[in-house]
Amino acid sequence: MPRARIIRDLKARATVASSEVVRQAFRYLTHNTTLPAKVRAQAQLQLNAFPRDARPAAIHNRCLETGRGRGVLRVFRLSRFQFRVKALEGELPGVKKSTW
Amino acid sequence: MNAAQAGTKLALLNKLSCSIFGNIYNPQGFRTGNKILRARLVGPTINSYYPNVKMIKPREISRMAPEMNLIDQAEKTRLEDLAERKKRGKGPPKKGQGRRSTLKKK
Repeated sequence: MPRARIIRDLKARATVASSEVVRQAFRYLTHNTTLPAKVRAQAQLQLNAFPRDARPAAIHNRCLETGRGRGVLRVFRLSRFQFRVKALEGELPGVKKSTW
Repeated sequence: MNAAQAGTKLALLNKLSCSIFGNIYNPQGFRTGNKILRARLVGPTINSYYPNVKMIKPREISRMAPEMNLIDQAEKTRLEDLAERKKRGKGPPKKGQGRRSTLKKK
């Protein structure tokens, strides 16, 4: 069962994905300096009208096991301790303990 | 051929090549925001971070299969509490008996 923060993040991801195309179009309008200032300002207003979750910055990679938001290894999508636990159990293919 | 002439010739050449290869001629380097249009869409990648989890609430299960006669414990407790409150006279007031309507009458 996913944790509450994961559910929140899932929601944000869905919002980002669904509004991405329209948002990028407005972002293009605001960034295009050859367009009239009025158009660009209106596009900026439209951008501001999007929900907070529509920004890609609203999403945050979380640990699949625990939902922890910090110290998450991107490749394994696990927090550092869950990574250690799983690696020692041999659940992560190709990962083995080493010392040097 | 002096430097200025060479410059204009190069600019013309650039313009011509842009028209041939379908590029945008932008000698002053204005910010056109084309990099935003060029960027790939990140939505699919972003959506595929978590494994496909379908959140099913207990209420949805009982709605999908009413013949199972599942008991929603939280809802049951809530209704029981409501009945208890009503027995003690703490239920919702009847229409026209609430705080607001009595205030207006005075």
